[in-house]
Formats: sequence, C-alpha cells, structure tokens
Amino acid sequence: MKLALSVFKECISTVFDAAEQLLILDLEDGAEPRRYTAKFNGKDPASRTNDLKDRGIDVLICGAISRPMERSITSRGITVHSFVRGPVEEVLAAYLGNRLGLAVFSLPGCRGRDLERSSCPGRRWRRGQGRGMGCRMGPSQSGG
Amino acid sequence: MKAGKSAPPGSFSGAGGQNIILDSIADGVFTVDRNWRITSFNRAAEAITGVSRGEAVGQLCKDVLKADICEKNCCLRTTMKTGVPIINKKVRIIDAQGRKFPVSISTALLRDDRGKLLGAVETFRDMSVEEDLRKAVLSKYSFEDILSKNHRLLKLFDILPDVAAGGSTVLIEGESGTGKELFARAIHNLSPRKKQPFVAVNCGALPDTLLESELFGYKAGAFTDAKKDKPGRFRLAENGTLFLDEIGELTAAMQVKLLRVLQEKTYEPLGATKSVEHHVRIIAATNRNLGELVRQGSFREDLYYRINVFKIVLPPLRERMEDLPLLVDHFIRRFNTLQKKDIGAMSAEAMSVLMDYVWPGNIRELANVIERAFILCKNGLIEKRHLPESLLTENREHAVNKAASLGDAQAAFLTDALRENAWNRPQTARKLGIHKSTLYRRIKALGIVTPDR
Repeated sequence: MKLALSVFKECISTVFDAAEQLLILDLEDGAEPRRYTAKFNGKDPASRTNDLKDRGIDVLICGAISRPMERSITSRGITVHSFVRGPVEEVLAAYLGNRLGLAVFSLPGCRGRDLERSSCPGRRWRRGQGRGMGCRMGPSQSGG
Repeated sequence: MKAGKSAPPGSFSGAGGQNIILDSIADGVFTVDRNWRITSFNRAAEAITGVSRGEAVGQLCKDVLKADICEKNCCLRTTMKTGVPIINKKVRIIDAQGRKFPVSISTALLRDDRGKLLGAVETFRDMSVEEDLRKAVLSKYSFEDILSKNHRLLKLFDILPDVAAGGSTVLIEGESGTGKELFARAIHNLSPRKKQPFVAVNCGALPDTLLESELFGYKAGAFTDAKKDKPGRFRLAENGTLFLDEIGELTAAMQVKLLRVLQEKTYEPLGATKSVEHHVRIIAATNRNLGELVRQGSFREDLYYRINVFKIVLPPLRERMEDLPLLVDHFIRRFNTLQKKDIGAMSAEAMSVLMDYVWPGNIRELANVIERAFILCKNGLIEKRHLPESLLTENREHAVNKAASLGDAQAAFLTDALRENAWNRPQTARKLGIHKSTLYRRIKALGIVTPDR
C-alpha cells in the first residue's frame, strides 16, 4: 500500500491545492517503509490526480483541499484524509495508530470532517481543543 | 495601527469596544502576535473562513486562513519583515467546507502607543461574487462554479474528471435552463485542451446552408459574396472543443454531413477541393430525448451512437430542489453586487413559494425571478409579494391527487403539511400529533425535499 503525505518542510502542507511536495511511503508486508519524495507536475485537479495515480498512491493525507480537487482524487479510487495538520512524523504515527481523527490533527473549523472518517477514536474530543501539533512559524514558515 | 492601553468609560477604545467596532466591519479582520498566533478574529472573518472565533484565537493564522500563499509568500510575514503594508493582494483561500474562493487581503503592523511592535493585522474581503461575474463575462467556468448537493450531480462530479481527461465525444441532455453549456465549458476547462479554444454553435438557430458554412467555413469564390476564405467553427476550435448545442434540431441532410465529419475526422469547407483533417473534441447538447427521436425516426441512429459515447443527463431543477436555497443565495449575492443593493435573503414564506413551483424554465427561470424581485424589493428580505403572480396563482395539481402509490400520497400529504407550517418541522409534527423524530424519519424515508438553509 502506498501512502502519500503532502508536505512543506517537516509539516503537512496547509493547502494541498498549492502544495508542491509529496512524501511517499511504501508500506509493504510490515517491512520498514521505503520513503521518498516527489514533486507535482501541475496544479489543476486532473494533473494532480494523474500524478498520484501514476505513482500508485492508495491513500493521501493532506491539509485543506478544495472540493473539486478532492472529488477528482477520490473518483480515481484514492482515499483522502483531508484538512489534517501537524508535523509529518506525528501525523504518520497517528495514521498508523488509527488516531488521525483526534482534534489536534484537524485544521481549525474542520473538526466535523473527522467524524466522517471511517475510524475516529477522537470523536469524544471537542471542537477547538488544542493548538495543533507544534508546526510553529519558524523563519522559513510564515503565517496567513 | 496602534493599540491603546486603557479606555475612557463609554468609549469604544477598550477591548470590548474594539470588538464591537471590529464586528461591525464587513471585511474579515484578524490580528496576530509576533508568533503568528491569532489574537483577535472578527465576525466577518468567522463568516468568510467558516472558523469560529473560539476556534481561531490562539491558532496559527495559516491554519485558520488556509490561503495558497501562506507557506511561501505570506503577506503578514512580508509586512512584519519590511514594515510596509500590503494593500488588496488577491489570494485564494479554502474554507472549512472545501470551497475555494478569492479574497483580497491587506496587512499592516500593529504597534502599541509607545511604538513597540505587537504583531500585525490582516483584513480580507470575499471576492467570490466579483470573480463569478468576471467568469460570467468571460465564460471561464469550471466545476467549482457548479453549485449542487444533489446526489445525482455529486455522482456526476465524481466521474467528470475522467470524462474530461479523455477525448471522447460527450452528449449532454437536459431541459432548457439546466446549465448544459456550463457543464460543457467545465468539461473543456478540466481537459488537457483547456488552453485551446472552446467554440459554441447553436445548431437550431441557423438554416442548413448557413450552418454548413458556419461549421466548415468556405473558400473564396464558393458563392457570389464569398470574397475571401472564411474559417468555420471546426477550424476555430482546432485542438479544442466544439460545443454543438440543440443538436436534436439538425435536419436530416446536416445529420448526414456531421456523421461523415465525425467518422472520418475530416471536413470540406464550401468550395474546397480537398478535405481538411480536424482534431476537435465534440460536446453535443440537446433539450430533447435523442433516443426517443431515434425511435421516431427523426434523428439518425448512426449519428446518435456516434455522439452518444458518454451521455450526461442533467436533472431539471424540480428534481434537485435541495439545491434551490443554494442557488437562491448565489443569485442574491450576484444581483446585490451587480445592482449595488443589500438584499439579505429570501423570506421563509417566499422560499416556500419557490419550493412549491415546478420551474419549467429551470435555473434560468429562477435567476429571472430573483432579478425581477430585486426590482421590487429595495432592501431587507425578498417577500412573497416580490414574486411574480404566475408563481403564486399557478393551478398546481396537488401531488396527492395524482399519487401513483401509497408512498407518493404520504409524501404529498407531508409536503403539504410542512408547507402550511412554513417548513417548520417541530411545528408540523405538533400539528400532526406525531413525534418530531417520527416526522424526520418519514421525511428522510420518503425523500421529501425541504428548503433547509
């Protein structure tokens, strides 16, 4: 199974539609996952979907994503966990540990989306809990 | 911008007063500290981003605003670094529902009364209506512009990227006013041909000879007034998309010519001695049932199968009434901008009239009804009296009288009861003497569409 995370430096990229880089993990038979990075060729839904499909991605974890983009990707059979935030390693551990539904991994205002995810141990968590997982604004990562 | 320390009693300069002022501003406003954490967030910012103040305060501004520039070209960062404000920079944000739309942002430093840097302030304005109008003028529509939560259309959206990516001919069937050209343009704009031309021809508007010269062009000398070569629509749409609207109106002779062009991928301009090869994608549309026309013998079966590679059937508005509130809001926003008015919304009573109407003219008719209401309604809500008489007096056959099954009869009865109670479900349940959860269950089971907002 191939898992892709759209990343910016050490964190999940805030906006998938504008993200440039993917971290891809080949999770096969319980072996140590093979990791590599890849860049997107284009920004429109069709080319991003093709990029993911051509690389054999089964699951995508990303930040905020526009509806047409998400529709395009899911229509090709790729599972999308969207509106996720946090440091890549924390998010990855949460995904593998079935904890991605926790409020701390949701972008503000997007908590309701977690409840639609198939497994959501974080259901009992309330809206607005926590301040995210420490993707702070360093000199290279700025604000709105 | 400077922040004062204390506030005289009764003034607006204290923290509470500042919130009142900020909340009265139509633009989104938020402030950040020097660590990019949001320290205040006004009501308009909540409305635009879909993030509540409680959720936003304390968060990184990029996580709340979700703008395409946040990571690489942050305006606040530039302002904090240079001290220079940024005025009206156009960026795109994604709200909590996944809607991507343009906003215009401005930034400035925030200092206390001693000049010490506290952080920065960002104001932003939703520009989606302006962009919508620009797209309307330029006809640059994409799937993002098609408003629907109808399950049939949502299923369609799932497959359309694949349809667009391929080069196959598409047939769009739908009643007049259902948005066939909008879909055709969206398919084109999502396809690899999007940078090439999209050319539309209404096949029903022209007699055969004119249509032929329009489609295929002509050579100088082909007829008396043909002084020089004129390229046809096929030539103009080369490598792009040719939208053939009202294809069901083609005469038998033109059907034969078009079939040949589609089969052989070549055409002959009038007066030409050689065929010209084309690389045009065809999207055909009709408001008629082409299959039925084939059965009646008025449309060629071979042409039908040639264009019916992938068929899209657009539901009429009466079959996607759950989209009506969404569309009403969209047109109110559009006409507010166009006519510089401030109409709030449709009143519940007026909305139930709209929900009760069958909309033979579909979305085009709805747009016209709202435009008409804008003439009569000066401000506030659009009321029942602002709607055309025809909507109010039309003798509708109550569905209960023509119900085909018990389920239909129940649905019609419950719809009438809901309508009489202004679509207020708890009130309807009380009137009917049933528990409201029973009513909710029946509404869902019977597929009754209510004007929820």
